[in-house]
Amino acid sequence: MSTAVKTTKLSKIYEGALRGRDVHALKALDLEINEGEIFAYLGPNGSGKTTTIKIILGLLFPTSGSLEVFGAKNIHSAAVKRNIGYLPEGAYYPEFLRGEEVIEYYGKLYGLHGRDLKRRLDEVIDLVGLAHARKRLVRSYSKGMRQRVGLAQALISDPKLLILDEPTTGLDPIARKEIRDILANLRNAGKTLLISSHELLEAEMISDRAGILYEGVLQAEGRLDELLLQRDIALEVDGLTPELVEKSEAAGLRVEDRLGERGKLRAPEGLSAYDAIRRCGELGLKLVSVAPRRETLEELFVRVIGAAKTSRSA
Amino acid sequence: MKFAEILRGPWTIAVYTYREGIRKKTLLGFLILSLLVIFGSRFISSFLDPSAETDIDVKLIKDICVSAISIFGMLITVFISASVVPGEVENKVIYTILSKPLRRWQYLLGKFLGAQLIIIVNLLLMGALFFFALYYYQHVWPTLLLWSILLTYFEFLIVSAFTFAVSCVSTSTVVPTIAGLFIYITGNLTEYLKDVQNRAGQTGQWLDALAGDIAKWLYEILPNLQNFSLKMQIVNGMPNDPPRDLQIPNLIIYGLEYGLAGFILSWLLFWRKEV
Repeated sequence: MSTAVKTTKLSKIYEGALRGRDVHALKALDLEINEGEIFAYLGPNGSGKTTTIKIILGLLFPTSGSLEVFGAKNIHSAAVKRNIGYLPEGAYYPEFLRGEEVIEYYGKLYGLHGRDLKRRLDEVIDLVGLAHARKRLVRSYSKGMRQRVGLAQALISDPKLLILDEPTTGLDPIARKEIRDILANLRNAGKTLLISSHELLEAEMISDRAGILYEGVLQAEGRLDELLLQRDIALEVDGLTPELVEKSEAAGLRVEDRLGERGKLRAPEGLSAYDAIRRCGELGLKLVSVAPRRETLEELFVRVIGAAKTSRSA
Repeated sequence: MKFAEILRGPWTIAVYTYREGIRKKTLLGFLILSLLVIFGSRFISSFLDPSAETDIDVKLIKDICVSAISIFGMLITVFISASVVPGEVENKVIYTILSKPLRRWQYLLGKFLGAQLIIIVNLLLMGALFFFALYYYQHVWPTLLLWSILLTYFEFLIVSAFTFAVSCVSTSTVVPTIAGLFIYITGNLTEYLKDVQNRAGQTGQWLDALAGDIAKWLYEILPNLQNFSLKMQIVNGMPNDPPRDLQIPNLIIYGLEYGLAGFILSWLLFWRKEV
């Protein structure tokens, strides 16, 4: 699998007004994003996510280190930029232009014109669901509609790499679902997506790999199925009488929920599925279902950031 | 890359900057003000003593009209030039544009050309209003006003270019707006610098001599915007006189040189700017 973005020892220092007030936004960052994957770039505010993105886009200049996009080191070249689409967080678009004019404008900046531009314009407007409002001025758009304009301008050149900064923030649940579906379709179409987000549940739903950044250092990186640990086992049982509730708890099976004699039990970490099922049998419970429970991305995030904070203070 | 392809990006930015600027209705506001000035000047001239100089009312109207073009035009020039880049930094639109296959000078050229289109259209619309108003009062086509409008544009080009350069290092429109007004005012006062230079050194004190040197230096580098003014000729002469004592091609080149210098300065300030 070839690499879409690769950073080597990438560092960025924002110089302060006084000596000693410099901010080290990125510290020797080594990051690789493969072609055709959705990479969730996570981290708390001020961790360096946006700095990384801005360096990839040529908006900021690295203090040291190197960067390659699709194997090219000159990221400022038109050939590289033509392959990148970018949706910034909370951007406004020219307010006194119509929705379709804004998207057309960006298409022209990518060098599209004539029939190609018109065809792409119609395609992306349909894709992001803006057809009904394409003639309206952007100033009359809701936040969700502006976000769709942003996504459309990022997609107009059919780029190989899409960089999305908080693509679903502030959107209602239906719009979020629609945007998620669009992103999943783009991945299926072979696009590479770099998504910076605080919406961990969504990131977990659509990403293949994730990287967690804290204070300019990549604390964890890998495939989600490798990063997320299996935590414990959830069991659904029948015949859970009040007497058996106490016995279950004594056997180490925590009762999470109970409705009549139907209940949900949680086996402790480290207990195998076999042992959990055996204990249910010994208690005389009728097993309905067994499901291993994996750590969520949110739990991983808290664990990784917590460990980073602890090691820093130690 | 072909020359036409290189200019396609800047031209696209210019057209959309112009389109957005025109729809902001700022222009309409200035045109309404211009209309008010035309009717206001007629109203003020009605208070003049009718036994005085016969054409003093027309002179007053011409004076007000030419001053209005200059002042309103200058205000819109400074406002537009100060806001086209910082406005996009503030609302983050610049991120989406500079991430496109476009060099920074192309972006700057596009924004600068877009601002010029807005300034020119504004000047033409205001000029047309005053042109027909003067024709209505004097029944002679005021062709001298057309020359004045042409020269006024090149005066605005100088103010616009340096305001634009300041705006490239500013995150808000306040500083470049103040800088633009400063450029306009000092550019119209450079003749006084000549006076300071001529009078300096008479006391023999070093401070006096230093003031003279500074005045000389400023006189050399600051544009003299008074060169572009045809106001006295318009007010005192016939409206269809040809412009006197002026070398219009030289003034146009003078305006273009300062405009280019301002644009190059903006590029030098912007090409490594982190946004």
